[in-house]
Amino acid sequence: MSSSSLDMPRPPSTVRGASAPVSDDKIGEIVDAVIDAAPECVRKRVLLPAIDWALVPPHKVSLLVSSLDQARLPLPRWLAKPLLLAGHTLSSAARDALPGALAVLSRLNDAAGEPDEREALAASLEGLAYASDIDADTAVALVRRLLALSWDDEALRFALAQAHSAPQALRLAGGAFERHLADLPRLRIRMSGSSTTRVLADALHPAFGVEGWRTEISESSFGGVIGDLLSPPDDVDALVVLLDTDGLLATDWRREVQDVERIAAERVDMLGQALQVFSSQAAVPLLINTLPVPSRPTVGLLDRRHGAGLRRIVDSLNARILDAAAASARVIVVDADQALSGLAARDHVDPKLWYYGRIGYSHEATQCFARAFAEAWRIVQRGPVKVLAVDFDNTLWGGIYGDDGVDGLACGEDFPGNAFQALQQECLRLKAQGLLLVALSKNEAGALDAFEQHPGMVLKADDFAAHAVNWQPKADNLRRIAADLNLGLDSVLFLDDSPHEREAMRRLVPEVTVPEMPDDPAERPGWLRRLSATWPARLTAEDASRPAVYAARRAAQELQARAASFEDYLSALEQRLALSFVSERTVARTAQMHQRTNQFNLTTVRLGEADISALAADPTRGFALLGQVSDRFGDHGLVVAATVDIDGAEATIRTLLMSCRVIGREVERAFVGALVGELASRGVARVRGIYVPTAKNGMVRDFYQSCGFSPTGGEGSGTVWTFAIGDTEPPGSTYVTTSWER
Amino acid sequence: MDTYAAATELAYPEISEIFADVFQHAGPLTRGTSPEDVSRWDSLQHIALIRALETTFAVRLSMDEMMEIRSVGDIERVLGRHGV
Repeated sequence: MSSSSLDMPRPPSTVRGASAPVSDDKIGEIVDAVIDAAPECVRKRVLLPAIDWALVPPHKVSLLVSSLDQARLPLPRWLAKPLLLAGHTLSSAARDALPGALAVLSRLNDAAGEPDEREALAASLEGLAYASDIDADTAVALVRRLLALSWDDEALRFALAQAHSAPQALRLAGGAFERHLADLPRLRIRMSGSSTTRVLADALHPAFGVEGWRTEISESSFGGVIGDLLSPPDDVDALVVLLDTDGLLATDWRREVQDVERIAAERVDMLGQALQVFSSQAAVPLLINTLPVPSRPTVGLLDRRHGAGLRRIVDSLNARILDAAAASARVIVVDADQALSGLAARDHVDPKLWYYGRIGYSHEATQCFARAFAEAWRIVQRGPVKVLAVDFDNTLWGGIYGDDGVDGLACGEDFPGNAFQALQQECLRLKAQGLLLVALSKNEAGALDAFEQHPGMVLKADDFAAHAVNWQPKADNLRRIAADLNLGLDSVLFLDDSPHEREAMRRLVPEVTVPEMPDDPAERPGWLRRLSATWPARLTAEDASRPAVYAARRAAQELQARAASFEDYLSALEQRLALSFVSERTVARTAQMHQRTNQFNLTTVRLGEADISALAADPTRGFALLGQVSDRFGDHGLVVAATVDIDGAEATIRTLLMSCRVIGREVERAFVGALVGELASRGVARVRGIYVPTAKNGMVRDFYQSCGFSPTGGEGSGTVWTFAIGDTEPPGSTYVTTSWER
Repeated sequence: MDTYAAATELAYPEISEIFADVFQHAGPLTRGTSPEDVSRWDSLQHIALIRALETTFAVRLSMDEMMEIRSVGDIERVLGRHGV
């Protein structure tokens, strides 16, 4: 996603950094000289882009514009944009040649904040909100200016509509946005993923806000997808699952190729089965994405054919996701390739984010997914529009019926009429998908006959459920037709090539959806397909009865009969926990874990290498214990650690922490069980554990209690828990096989 | 603190805006400003900072540079190396 449609060279910092107005110094003289030579500079496209116009006084800008005018040079867009972003205003003549967003910005720069100005700009702003071609810089400048005028409502509406291409605009409108959200219905989302979900969780809040929901998002533990699918929490309104290829399908190539293939198939199976179980029993809706077509093959040319080929594995996984959606309307699938279609495939992942924090998608891709999830939710909850109200002249055909006559209209197999014919085809497609077509044209009544008289028209007059072809205002016509059809105006989409008609409709019937249609007829058919307001919420009954659905249901039932559950999943994982005392080789990793672990960290004491080595030096005074976890899919490495101080018959767990990679699989219970066992063998009778709350470790608040420790008071901000060896059964897990390396 | 770090005028005024936007940090900013001075500058918001630098200055930062940035002065050094 480019932040700017105009590739302006960055001005040199000497000009930008000037603290005084440029006219006061040497650089000011140079700027003056450049402005004097403006026509020459515009022709050669030099020097002018280097000027920071915020430092140039308005009268010099007027001088510049009028000298271009005298030289009969139009003000080029590459110059107009920085002038306007810097807060300057342009003459109405110069303004009219600019695209909508810049023209409105010019008028805003002029505005003093009077109510009548606000009234006059309202419809233009509303129209602008729907425009799809505003670059982020301009959107941000518009919002800033609106906020400066204290026109908060307008700023918010515009920022909401542009949130996807300019998320920073929404952040600027922050206060107004939060007030807006407060009135929206609440949506409790549980989020899990095959990698870190935090970046998406942050993006979901504004994305759902744009669609009309105030989200409360709770994140599952790292990689908690299967757990959430098999036992979905019942206190949420929706489950969101973000799958990514690296997190889900990373392969250990130390194995034989046949094993790689088998493991890949098993992984696909495990997720597929979990999805089947979910779709057959869950009450909560699930939003889940498919994996995008991989751009980094593992078997090159054969990637789609070889059993270890990433593309082939991705395809089979996606097929399982679609099976689950076919089996249950509660499974809502966001197609990754569609959601990410605006991005080059190589930009789906930002490798440094992956290596830094196991973030499976780039920022741009994450924004696309957030938008796609929110749109999917809106489509499923509220459905598409029901009525497509459409204009004739220069919309359904090229030319004007009244001026050009039927024979002069462009619509047919040949250029340029084929673009108009294609739009008619799209109208027919929407009709076939259940929308009602309504003709709204300011024309002689005979214009309706053009559909029969002109050989290129694919739409026919009787394709329209209703029509108003007259000289009355379109708003009045539409109100009457909606009443006749007994349909709410909020279920109407209005297409018209005329910006004036669009503005009038927005002003007079604000309930109607009036998107900005592309000026170029060639762009319109594809644009209409991407317009999510028209997307159907569900397949027709016919589609839903396809044999595949029954097959998927049967499979899910069989699986259920085998009592598939989270416990089964855990036992199928075949987890192994290898325990060892910290050695020279592992002390650095142990210290690093102490620095980086925030969530599963009972005391958050940041022990360094020296502290840990000191502990290891005298085994009678304490020890540092490490756990390495592996399962049938691979090795997770050293992921759990504890340091313990021993004082006679009493031991205190100074630190206890675990990487989020393996949280929630009972490894933590097995580890504490082994720790307690080791202490018992050294003659310890009581083990003290301390929980010190931080902003991030709420997930372990009750951990000691769940392991059989009893509360025995407080210590500073922490709570102390004690485990009496011999009185209580030590914690453990039947899903984890423990071994010692001494 | 060396004289470079003590200098108050930033070579890239945009950094102040980025800090306000990413960390809601309105306090003074010097080359010595580090995560210890900015309450929201944690390892996750660090990603947002890198992202803002990349888009504002139209550069692509490497993994090493991501680790290298530990203060405002580091940001300026890295940007300078990119010829911004």
